[in-house]
Amino acid sequence: MDGRVTISELEKVYGEGPERTKAIDDLSFDVEGGEFVSVVGPSGCGKSTLLYLIAGFLDTTSGTIAVDGEPISGPGTDRGVVFQDYALFPWRTVFENVTYGLEESGVPKEERQTTAQKYIDLVDLDGFEDKYPKELSGGMKQRVGIARTLAYEPKILLMDEPFGALDQPLREALQDQLIDIWDDLGKTIVFITHDVEEAVYLSERVLIMTRHPGTKKTVTEIDLDRSGSREDIVTSDAFAQYKNAVWKSLHEETQTEVTL
Amino acid sequence: MGHATSQRIETLPAPLQGIVQTIFDWIPLGILVVLWEFASGTFVAESILPPPTIVLSRIVELIVTGDVFSHLFISLFRITVGLGLSILVGVLLGIGMARSKPVENFFDIFLSMTYPIPKTALVPLAILWLGVGTETAILIVFLACLLPVVLNAYNAANDVNQSLVWAAQMMGTSERAMLFKVVFPATIPEIMTGIRQAVPIAFVALVSAELIASNQGMGYLILTSGQIGNYPRMFANIVIISAVAFVAVRGFEEARNRVLVWT
Ligand SMILES: Nc1ncnc2c1ncn2[C@@H]1O[C@H](COP(=O)(O)OP(=O)(O)OP(=O)(O)O)[C@@H](O)[C@H]1O
Ligand SMILES: [Mg+2]
Repeated sequence: MDGRVTISELEKVYGEGPERTKAIDDLSFDVEGGEFVSVVGPSGCGKSTLLYLIAGFLDTTSGTIAVDGEPISGPGTDRGVVFQDYALFPWRTVFENVTYGLEESGVPKEERQTTAQKYIDLVDLDGFEDKYPKELSGGMKQRVGIARTLAYEPKILLMDEPFGALDQPLREALQDQLIDIWDDLGKTIVFITHDVEEAVYLSERVLIMTRHPGTKKTVTEIDLDRSGSREDIVTSDAFAQYKNAVWKSLHEETQTEVTL
Repeated sequence: MGHATSQRIETLPAPLQGIVQTIFDWIPLGILVVLWEFASGTFVAESILPPPTIVLSRIVELIVTGDVFSHLFISLFRITVGLGLSILVGVLLGIGMARSKPVENFFDIFLSMTYPIPKTALVPLAILWLGVGTETAILIVFLACLLPVVLNAYNAANDVNQSLVWAAQMMGTSERAMLFKVVFPATIPEIMTGIRQAVPIAFVALVSAELIASNQGMGYLILTSGQIGNYPRMFANIVIISAVAFVAVRGFEEARNRVLVWT
């Protein structure tokens, strides 16, 4: 399947001289096509930086990032980011936000409208097409962000703590919606979160990063039986074990940070 | 406006609320007019402070005879052109400065140096270059209005949310198209704020310029009425231009709110 991300010996340094900060240090990691990977790590360890590097918004200092073997140079429509702060265009309605990517790639109007409508329906926002972002709740804005990114059909979804600002029930609802979307559309997903439970619940693998400057600490495979309901999954022993493993690994990093 | 009273007003039925609020808003002006009427001929000689009743009759006269309109239209034309140019140039310059370092360096020093100069102080210089008349008035209005428009556009274009630019980039927007697709629309609210600040400034600059450098227009009318000692007519013209400026500001605010439904 397409949508493989290969990260080799990645290094990212911000600024120069006394302002110089190494955000990411020698990180190598592969994401398979169609895989759901979560990234967790202490605050400031470089998770967002990693995501923006994959998106092509930032240039690498050294090392390479390749999509399906092809080194990236800048942003491309093969990758789509769902931003933590939604980043919706406030002057565009929900519908116009969702059609933006299609307009930019020159899709004819008719097709734009059917495709946009399909993704608006997918995230349960039918009836809100003509609203402006300011008229929506946080959860609705995030769903518009997801629909907007899905609509131009990137192979790879890059999500930066997309549900971080939402309350528990809404977050759970959106998590399940995301799993359905992933099942249906077979995207590669790189999902950043600081919530260990969220990482274990959603993903096939969890990448745990060291504290600043971030690099790969451990990678935990999550091999859960996901056929049951949320309750079955989160109350299972396997779930608890994975959660503990990830938590412990992450905790070591935050511990060292605190005792420093 | 009317914050102290607004809580009690809220208990009234909706249509009444609006009317009552409007009455409250106009009370200060009403008090001023009453005081003025009272002061004229008592504390201050009627010859130098004609009472509002007389001023009002002059306003009616100016309107009925149509004497005021040619001057008013000339003034409005000058304002429209001067302000329009300042919006056009100001938006281009503000966004240009935010997007390009050389443009920023070039104009920054220029703007900082001209900032403290009252633009009306440039009227004599403008007369020297452009003579007495419309061109001078337009130039002064243009210069006076330019700064608020430039500064607001510049600050807003500098502050465009990075995520919005990235979002557009990931969906295939080129660096060039970014200007129209993201930077400009994101800057519109602040551009509107700049224009809102510029509208009253335009009237101030215009009347000042016309007082010195014109044979037409409301400023000229005010000056000549004063020179021949016709103070009621002078006051009448001052009130007319103030009222027009007030309507222009309110009209612009109304239009802006319609354009900015999304904010
Ligand atoms: N634009 C920038 N310029 C300079 N330094 C930066 C910049 N962005 C991030 N950094 C630094 O790089 C490091 C990693 O930042 P990053 O935002 O990637 O962390 P993060 O893991 O996403 O943190 P959080 O969990 O708090 O979101 C931090 O030390 C941060 O201070
Ligand atoms: Mg972050």
